Amino acid sequence: MTKNRSVLSVFALLLTIAVGQSVTAQKNGNSSAVKIPFEAYKLPNGLNVILSVDKTTPTVAVDVWYHVGSKNEMPGRTGFAHLFEHMMFTGSGHVPYGLHDKLTEGVGGNNNGSTTNDRTNYYENIPSNYLESTLWIEADRLGFLLDTLDIAKLNAQRDVVKNERRQSYDNQPYGRVGEIFYAAMYPKGHPYSWPVIGSMTDLSAASEEDVKAFFRQYYTPNNAYLAIVGDFDPAQAKAWITKYFGDLPAGKPVERPNIALAKLDASKRLVYEDRVQVPRLYIQWPSVGTKNADDVPLSVMSSILSGSRTARLTKALVYDSQMASNIFAFQNSNEDVGQFQLVVIPRPDHTLTEIEDAVDQVIKKFISEGPTDDELQRAKAGLELGFLRGLESNLGKANQLLDGAVFHADPGHFSIDYQKTLSVTAADVKRVAAQYLGGNRIVLSVVPKGKRDQASKSSESEAVSLLRTEAAGGGK
Amino acid sequence: MKRHNQVPALFVTVVILLASVASLAQQTLDRTKVPPPGPSPALRVPDWTKTQLSNGATLIVSERHNLPLISFTITFVGGSNQFESESKHGVAAMTSSMLTEGTATKTGDQLSDALQLLGTNVSAGVGTEEGSIGFVSTSKNFEPTLALLGDMMLNSTFPADALERLRGRTLVNLTQAKDQPNVIGAQVFARVLYGAAHPYGQRPTEASIKAITRDDVVAFSKAYFQPGRAIITVVGDTTTARAKSSIEKGLAGWSKAGDKPSFNYPKVPELQPAKIYLVDKPGSAQSVVTIGLPGPPRNTPDYFALQVLNTILGGQFQSRLNANIREQKGYSYGVNSVFSFGKGPGPFRAGGAIFSAKTDAALIEFMKELKGIEGDRPITDEELKTAKDNLIQGLPARFASVSAVSSSITTLAVQGLPDDYYQNYAKNVSAITKDDLLRVAKQYIDLAHLAIVIVGDRSAIEAALKATNIAPITILDIEGNPVAAGGTGATNR
Repeated sequence: MTKNRSVLSVFALLLTIAVGQSVTAQKNGNSSAVKIPFEAYKLPNGLNVILSVDKTTPTVAVDVWYHVGSKNEMPGRTGFAHLFEHMMFTGSGHVPYGLHDKLTEGVGGNNNGSTTNDRTNYYENIPSNYLESTLWIEADRLGFLLDTLDIAKLNAQRDVVKNERRQSYDNQPYGRVGEIFYAAMYPKGHPYSWPVIGSMTDLSAASEEDVKAFFRQYYTPNNAYLAIVGDFDPAQAKAWITKYFGDLPAGKPVERPNIALAKLDASKRLVYEDRVQVPRLYIQWPSVGTKNADDVPLSVMSSILSGSRTARLTKALVYDSQMASNIFAFQNSNEDVGQFQLVVIPRPDHTLTEIEDAVDQVIKKFISEGPTDDELQRAKAGLELGFLRGLESNLGKANQLLDGAVFHADPGHFSIDYQKTLSVTAADVKRVAAQYLGGNRIVLSVVPKGKRDQASKSSESEAVSLLRTEAAGGGK
Repeated sequence: MKRHNQVPALFVTVVILLASVASLAQQTLDRTKVPPPGPSPALRVPDWTKTQLSNGATLIVSERHNLPLISFTITFVGGSNQFESESKHGVAAMTSSMLTEGTATKTGDQLSDALQLLGTNVSAGVGTEEGSIGFVSTSKNFEPTLALLGDMMLNSTFPADALERLRGRTLVNLTQAKDQPNVIGAQVFARVLYGAAHPYGQRPTEASIKAITRDDVVAFSKAYFQPGRAIITVVGDTTTARAKSSIEKGLAGWSKAGDKPSFNYPKVPELQPAKIYLVDKPGSAQSVVTIGLPGPPRNTPDYFALQVLNTILGGQFQSRLNANIREQKGYSYGVNSVFSFGKGPGPFRAGGAIFSAKTDAALIEFMKELKGIEGDRPITDEELKTAKDNLIQGLPARFASVSAVSSSITTLAVQGLPDDYYQNYAKNVSAITKDDLLRVAKQYIDLAHLAIVIVGDRSAIEAALKATNIAPITILDIEGNPVAAGGTGATNR
């Protein structure tokens, strides 16, 4: 690896010098009020760069997205993309452990990372005079992570991640619902059939060699997207980017196989006993991912069904019949797949069966009549404010640009999305309501231990038994 | 990505021709050298105007024109601790929820639809020592949103059936909270530190929620939302003149009444010798650990020293606590510490969620770090510098959005801090010495009188906790009441 890098880096550096000024910069051509001025270009090694200047506050956000997430994991190594994310904070070839924090939080900034099914990101918010050292750090962990990797570091972060799982999922009431749905919605082995956090068994199994292989496959400049947003000088930033990233070798192109949408041949009805006192009803329908045109009308539909007081489901269940204490509907879209999700928290004296029937009545009516013009107008009215508020944060802006770049090959995709949302019609919403909510679905009742009879239509429901997560790992 | 397919062929040629040039260029980059920071950017504290309205409210306006946004907030000094009676805890929160339920001229549905069409939402809430009602809107929708806020605050009708609906929801929330180990930990910790007679030890209960009547809500609303204790903060794409005239119109009829309450809290109960209070939650994967004791109020002269101290101890990722218990030992996903400054003796607390099997080991490390910060492991120059830089250079982030600016300015008025607080912040933090830190650590983190609250699986952790000999163990139920000897303390699961 070391040899390989030095050889390839010669080439990359030369190419950088050769094409230095000729990299193509594209300007955001959107003419509406919804604007993020930005400039995007690619280094010869494939690194995607997005720059957006905003001098409101003397701070800068540096945000790097890698186009890899839990869906790229192999069965038997679930949770690995996220465990790897933790490894990226343990120091690299020229940056000893701890210095990263010192040069971010130690100077009034902060840093963090996150992993989804589809991508992993790393960011720093820093005073603007610390931009160069931040780029140096990001380049170093992209180029030289493995130089200082060892099993002790891996074991330490493995323990931390297991505790993250315990804290955020195992020890949370209703915390395992996501995992149940992933497994029920997608066939075994499907890239979206396991949760991002992974299983304890698989976390225990991850080896040093796994970390190395994953790094070589996915942590390459050509699979990375770097955004800098805030108070900085773009010419200076470009020079630093070339200096620190320019000679990192390109990697092999990442293969992106077609991933099939979920398809339920029949509806499923599940019940899970949890350490809770209040039961909950969850319903999910397979829908579509963020690249599919139906994602936008499905999102609009979610805010017609719940969220405001007069939204269909909220009004019927929380205000009129008062069967429910609360209800949430939302379109959850990943890069390739999506689910339309519903959660209902019942009031005492109302069974989940009653609630499911009431939900079905509302949905049936909605499918047959579609939204009114007023409903549609209200659902869109908050869009502008939400967008403007997103512009207030350097990091929010960076994430917006990067989401477009990674998933739509266009950092300016937010404006397309915005226009698409504004142009959604009542007929669009009616169509997606029928198409998705009219199809097969999974109904999950979460009930108190020993109270399986509290499930919606309990006699038809199949019990979910999850392994105790500590069965294979996490011991002393 | 297609371009990379051509790499090998091109590569050979280029390397042969230019290898020497490249290696020269290569040498110029020494990656071991940490790039030094540029010159520090000047601190830009926003300007604001502060005036008194004829009804007694304070108006603060800060202009910010980078985006067409306006943040509007009315903050009321004093909260449930000052305005609720013990038997009616929850009436403050209930009243603020009911502001959305309808006014003399609009039903709750009409209010909701009108706000949704303006693309915004008026949110109201009353906390323990202050309350607020406000919104962020686009500048073009500012006046109509303000008119709706005024209608909600001044003309709400508080329908009886809405009270029953909200009461039902609140009771469901209270039941759900009993399953949340973090919530149980926080509630039991407060009860242990302050007892049932101090407002800091009290909270809404099923009984107090059931006791609230519509008359209570109406009375609370009348007594609480008064201009004499209000600070109106407007930040964003407006001017003082426009804000003032909009407020005169939108809040017409809000006439002079009320004043700021006093914050005379009863004495906290006498400190008890250090003790472990164990709350049994069978089957827990983790133990929620909370360690601490009552602390000083926000107006303590030791405020800056305590902030620097806490930054080193548990206020950042590389704090002593997190570096040790998460990063080195791997016992937790994260631990921290905080001084919860308020008008009264808010607590100091350190803690986090710990892997059950490591509860004892983690507690030993917590105690070691607390002893360490009191002199066993002296604070280094580097720790001191990093903590100060963290605080001082973190200031710009407090002014990064209209709502951030609003709360940063408002807090000065609420806490009675000087207008030049942020200008002098760096000076005040810089003045802190290692001697100051040692003194405040010893003074405010009294190791002999710490309360250690642990919510976890008793059967898995009790024996090991006992063996640490850190403190005797008392078993409490999830309400914080002692469980009779031999009892399980189990929460019925």
